[in-house]
Amino acid sequence: MEKRSLVQILISRQELSLVLVVIAITAAASVKAPAFMTQSNLLQILEGSVFYFVIACGSALLVVGGGLDFSVGATFTLGGLLSSQLMSEGLAWPVACLLGLLASIVVGVVNHSVITYWHVPPIIATLGVFYVLLGVTTLITGGLDVVPLPDEFQALAQGRILGIPNTILIAGLVGVVTWFVLEQTPFGVNIRALGGNRQAALANGLPTKRLDLTLYAAAAATAGAAGILYASRVGSGQVNAGGSSMTLSVITAVLIGGVSLLGGLGTIQGVVVGSILLSLIDNALVLTEVPPTLNTIIVGSILVGAVALDHLRRDHLYRKR
Amino acid sequence: MSSEPVLSLRDVRKSFGSVSALASVSIDAFPGEVHAVVGDNGAGKSTTVKIITGLHAPDGGSIELLGEPLSHRRSTAGLHEHGISVVYQDLALVECLDIATNLTVGRLPRRFGFLLDRKAMRRDAQAVLDDLNVRVKDVSTPVGLLSGGQRQIIAIARAVRLDQPLLLLDEPTAALGVQETAHVGEIIDRLKEQGKTIVCISHDLDFVFRHADRVTVLRLGRSVGTRLTRETTRAEVVGLITGALSRDLDGAA
Repeated sequence: MEKRSLVQILISRQELSLVLVVIAITAAASVKAPAFMTQSNLLQILEGSVFYFVIACGSALLVVGGGLDFSVGATFTLGGLLSSQLMSEGLAWPVACLLGLLASIVVGVVNHSVITYWHVPPIIATLGVFYVLLGVTTLITGGLDVVPLPDEFQALAQGRILGIPNTILIAGLVGVVTWFVLEQTPFGVNIRALGGNRQAALANGLPTKRLDLTLYAAAAATAGAAGILYASRVGSGQVNAGGSSMTLSVITAVLIGGVSLLGGLGTIQGVVVGSILLSLIDNALVLTEVPPTLNTIIVGSILVGAVALDHLRRDHLYRKR
Repeated sequence: MSSEPVLSLRDVRKSFGSVSALASVSIDAFPGEVHAVVGDNGAGKSTTVKIITGLHAPDGGSIELLGEPLSHRRSTAGLHEHGISVVYQDLALVECLDIATNLTVGRLPRRFGFLLDRKAMRRDAQAVLDDLNVRVKDVSTPVGLLSGGQRQIIAIARAVRLDQPLLLLDEPTAALGVQETAHVGEIIDRLKEQGKTIVCISHDLDFVFRHADRVTVLRLGRSVGTRLTRETTRAEVVGLITGALSRDLDGAA
């Protein structure tokens, strides 16, 4: 291939242009607020990105595979709340967590069934499941938060190893596993093929329905797992832990990270940067005492810019036939 | 041609509601030949392809592959298990994946059962391309970067890789320029030398006369005649396509 200019490289590797945005915000914030560049604050930014990121890992796989899940914000609540409720009823915490995770996976299976067998478009299907789940989670506890939770369970997310919060380590592990699955296994290639051209995937003999099912289950599983991690981190099962803002943040992190809504393209590295960027903007705006309304304006602009860039990238990458 | 046909369609019929798409189609493709199926728009070429690939079930008639009846209820996905590999008109390539992946997807080489073996993928892909005398700068180029002709060749190469007794090409030159068409023709010639049986749906008569051994003409859902290309003329084939010449009696060919 011919040599490519810097601009072309930036267009084709979205996470690189994103890193520039991160650096710019970091530089601006550290000039305006001395407290920004401290180790504890940087850790706090990372920790703030953890929940977005863990959910986004499963969602990224799904979007690469050509799907979309708007219910993750509610599945996040379900995982944490159901596990907490079961713990408070005396179940051993590992068992409670497992059941919470299983319930989340069931949500994924439901999403897949509604989309595949009832032919409801993914956005509508998962949005519907989102609303149903909001009601279900309220019913689980009668609208109340669950406290207290067992100390051992809280230690899961509140502990540190070598000074690094466990949540960051767990998120790192989830990220590595997801990267591995996407980049190093036949399954990863198959979901790129599925998202890149569903007809081609079918013609090549890929088990498209089974791949879809796995992806919706994975997206729901990471959402539920993140919910459990969140309950452990804050020490309670919260009815309002997730919700629509969580769904939107996660999808924003995925798309900003360069995963294409049209499927096929995207990397976990990009999602890492996308998740951190969301948390970074939150943090930097607070420290620089910028009015919080600006937050959504900035995030929205970056989202639109990122998706426009994705379009540009496809135009740039692919010839018209 | 002495031996049994590789693919044999006998009096295949298909209607969609009250519309008769295929009234009676019979095609015999013999081993090692390039058999073209030609016809005007609406003659039934696409429906014939879809019946061979199993996307539609015929209402009547029989389809045999290597003497074995092809069951009508089979998935398109499992087609190559039945001995046919297909190059679809819309190519069925994944733009965002590279050439090597497109050539191997569906049968990805693995290490330890769960790891993707990229080296083997590139090697397999390169071997298939070398075998077809196709030169590609780099098999890790995304297919989205290729021209229409290059894509067509990759699609054919993928079908060839499945190494089935029958290769079905659906309009392989539909969107191609002169040079690209010639390249696809070279590949077809080469596959024929290797003893492959090729059924090629086309409306490009130049191409058909240059590369096919035998041609079956469809008109209004009927196979109206089959000719050896060296024994017929363009005028005769065009006559059969347009209906200016009446069709052969059943059984005559």
